[in-house]
Amino acid sequence: MRPPIARLVALFAITVAGALVALAPRSARAFGDAGAFDPRVLITGSQTGPAHATAPGRWAWELEQRTSAPARLHPSVVRADDPAVIGAPFLYWSGDADLAPLSVEEIAGLRRFFALGGVLLADDAGAGPHGEPSPFGRAARREIARVLPDGAPITLGADHVIFRTFYLLHRAEGRVEGPQGLEAIVRGGLAQVIFSDNDLGGALARGASGMWEQPVVPGGDTQREHAIRLAVNIAMYVLCSNYKDDQVHAQFLMRRRAAASP
Amino acid sequence: MLSTHLGTSADLPSWGVAVAVALAVASLALLVAEVRREGRGAVGVAVTGLLAVAALLAAVLRPARVAARETAVGARVVVLADTSRSMALPGDDGRPRSETRDAIIARLAKRGAEPDGARFVVLGFGEGAPAPLPEHGSHDDASARAAHSDLGAALRAIAASAEEHPAAVIVVSDGRLDDPPEDVSAAALHAMGASLHVPIDTVATTRSAPPDASIRRVSAAGAAVAHVPLPLRVDVGCAGGLACDELTVTARELRDDGPPALLASGIAHLEDGKGTLDLTITLERAGSRIVEIAIAPQQGDAVPANDRRLVTFEVARERVRVLHVAGRPTNDVRALRQWLKSDASVDVVAFFILRTPTNDVHASTNDLALIPFPVDELFRDRLPSFDAVVLQDFDAQPYGLEKYLDDLRRYVLGGGGLVMVGGQKSFVAGGYAGTPLADVLPVQLGDSSDAPSADTSPFVPDWTPAGHAAPLLAPLRAAVGDELPEMPGANVLGDVRRGGVALWSHPSRRTRSGAKMPVLAIGDEGDGRTIALGVDGTWELQFSDLGSRTAGRGHGALWSGLLGWLMRDPRFEPAQLDVVGGCTAGLPSTLRARLPPDIGAAASSTVRLEITRIDGQRAPLRLEAARPHDAEPIDLPLPPLETGAYSARLSAADGSTTRHDFACEAGGDEWADTRPDPKRLEALAAATGGAFATAAEVASLRLPKPTTVSAERHVTPVAPPWVWTLSAAALLGIHWIARRRNGLS
Repeated sequence: MRPPIARLVALFAITVAGALVALAPRSARAFGDAGAFDPRVLITGSQTGPAHATAPGRWAWELEQRTSAPARLHPSVVRADDPAVIGAPFLYWSGDADLAPLSVEEIAGLRRFFALGGVLLADDAGAGPHGEPSPFGRAARREIARVLPDGAPITLGADHVIFRTFYLLHRAEGRVEGPQGLEAIVRGGLAQVIFSDNDLGGALARGASGMWEQPVVPGGDTQREHAIRLAVNIAMYVLCSNYKDDQVHAQFLMRRRAAASP
Repeated sequence: MLSTHLGTSADLPSWGVAVAVALAVASLALLVAEVRREGRGAVGVAVTGLLAVAALLAAVLRPARVAARETAVGARVVVLADTSRSMALPGDDGRPRSETRDAIIARLAKRGAEPDGARFVVLGFGEGAPAPLPEHGSHDDASARAAHSDLGAALRAIAASAEEHPAAVIVVSDGRLDDPPEDVSAAALHAMGASLHVPIDTVATTRSAPPDASIRRVSAAGAAVAHVPLPLRVDVGCAGGLACDELTVTARELRDDGPPALLASGIAHLEDGKGTLDLTITLERAGSRIVEIAIAPQQGDAVPANDRRLVTFEVARERVRVLHVAGRPTNDVRALRQWLKSDASVDVVAFFILRTPTNDVHASTNDLALIPFPVDELFRDRLPSFDAVVLQDFDAQPYGLEKYLDDLRRYVLGGGGLVMVGGQKSFVAGGYAGTPLADVLPVQLGDSSDAPSADTSPFVPDWTPAGHAAPLLAPLRAAVGDELPEMPGANVLGDVRRGGVALWSHPSRRTRSGAKMPVLAIGDEGDGRTIALGVDGTWELQFSDLGSRTAGRGHGALWSGLLGWLMRDPRFEPAQLDVVGGCTAGLPSTLRARLPPDIGAAASSTVRLEITRIDGQRAPLRLEAARPHDAEPIDLPLPPLETGAYSARLSAADGSTTRHDFACEAGGDEWADTRPDPKRLEALAAATGGAFATAAEVASLRLPKPTTVSAERHVTPVAPPWVWTLSAAALLGIHWIARRRNGLS
């Protein structure tokens, strides 16, 4: 048992430490988090979660580590027919299996989301090595066409701002190399639906043990790093839209791209 | 008293009398010719013929005795006296021209006092319809105050008047008129008098110009737009024997945040007493801006007041240039950027901090699309080129902004707009407490060492009464009503500073004074405006249940009002101010305030007016007036002000403030050219059939004759009609007999 003086000293130290903690300027962490990037998982039909459960959290973690953008390390999950679907400007929709047709309520929810300017990433977790769409990839395109019948996907090449919102990227990459570009439905100048046939989530998924859950082919770690960079760029695109298209950046980035080219 | 004279029968028209007399004269002429040809017995034929013609004429005219009571009424003559400010300038003898004008009028009045003299109606002309000439006192009295000399408007008003039409019009002026202008054609001058159908006589008060160098005219090529070069043409002149071959002209903006700023200068070369200089100025700030155009003083100048003109430019914005600086990308930053970029009238330059020193990017610099934050370039070199600066969730310390906070404060005082938007790095947490920037924010910032910088409890902001009434939040109320989304927390802000107004407040948190903590506050500082928004959740006006129900319009409506108010968009001003008829130095004037109905409905409140001279050389003048219950304008009488630029600030009881800048000049346009123009008066008289006279020759003017008016009239025939007829028949018979005896047919 400790002597009384030692206990008093310890008590005093704890009290002082507590007071210092109480008096120290408190960070506005909680109220800053509300506007943080949230890779919200979209659930439709009989889906129960994302194809790679740890991918959204890892995405948020990588964003916070690499950039100044705050992110939710525990991303939320929302159903398309839930009124909360319009609670934030981003949705992450992934899978590898076929999808049941969206219900009327789900279509209405997603239409409200897009009408407010939201962005959705449809990530094909079952994409083939060369980007061949899985049943999810085909079903996602089919169902989005029902939600946004006036929009047709176009290919976003390396010159699109999404490839330079934070990192300078030359192509899209994920768990599989897949196609060089991303497909997107652009409305009002904003890519509101982005289709990834590279399984971006597959490259991001990392278990509690710290091990990557999926091998990345054919590029290995380099390709995984590129996939993470693409995920960061997509998050930055959601938060900053076409910021890097501003005139003040254009000339600078053009010079840097020229310097980086062989 | 009755007067009697002979006349013709009353039933004969005057043309009938003329025909009868003409026929009689013709008959006599024939008779004379006939008698000369025949020669014989001429006397008898001539006498009887003469008598017969006379009897016939009398039978037609039937003479009568007319007894009448008659008076002569003088013709109505309208004297139009020039009452413009140029009449206060020195005349030929050095005394004000208005004194000569009044002497001329007195001489005309003396002629009116003569028997059967003209009835003079003396009216003053200046602006619009003429009015009775005010009593003459000193040289700056009411008879020489009009800001214009519009003779054309006065003549049109007389022609259109239902009063007795004048028999003549006499214009007394120095000839320096707005209408007719200097180079008017004779045809246009003739047209001026055509509607009156009477000649216009003119009398020149002055013939010689005083020794004077002046700015005669300042004209701008197009409207003034902020940041856009504006060409000015400055016409200068020298007259009255003052020798000046060249004059130095300067253009300076009068500012209340420091000494006048030199915009341009140049030298005007004069030929024949006239010169023109083209200057280009650039006004960086929108709103009312007062520019002083001045020439270097000349020795011997009798009218130094016109060496300097104060020109008010209503500077518009082609596009609002906004600098948007964000400390980190968030949903709130996203929403604001998208709104700024969606508005075609906004030119946004954005810088977002995307990477902090603690971030590990796992890449080389060449793999990054990041550029250094150009804090020096933005806040040292480019700051004046922006209309507004938005600091959103931005920490001043790590990025070198601290050293420019005083520049930012001066930028606000000089007319710039500033918005600080809440977040983890804003207000106290951003290190702004105790800095120069804190002095221009509308709220006090506490000391971060003993107070939390944020309250993380979710809450729904309360509307304050001022927020309910504020026109800048009207678009938001129209979009979402009184409902606001729940905010995830707030920056801890202090009391609203003097001149600030809280529009939203925290429902439970209090400031040190016990007042509800402001969440959204606005304030006027110097020439600029600032907004403090202590939350980072306005994006939820877009992405929330409320946003879904209102199609997300609330976010754009909020920022449209905030930015519009910051830029003094009249739609969002709590009041509209105007100096009625302009301000003349040394004369009282009236400032009219129009309050919108929703604010004017506030009962039993007052508005306070503060007039300050922009150079701060005089103590502010303060007035108070009761605010009407409805939207009726309030007229606030201003005492005589000295020459200079002034700023009027009207504050309502809720603290909302409206500013209006105006200039007071001694003579204005009327003193710009002090030369009299008697030739223009001479040309006007010649074109309308009138006469021109100088002041000394006024007695020679021919006035219209009086009109005779009969009050009572009695007509009595000299003889009955049958007597005249019988006499004529008899005398004609005798004449016929005389002709037959002399062998005539």
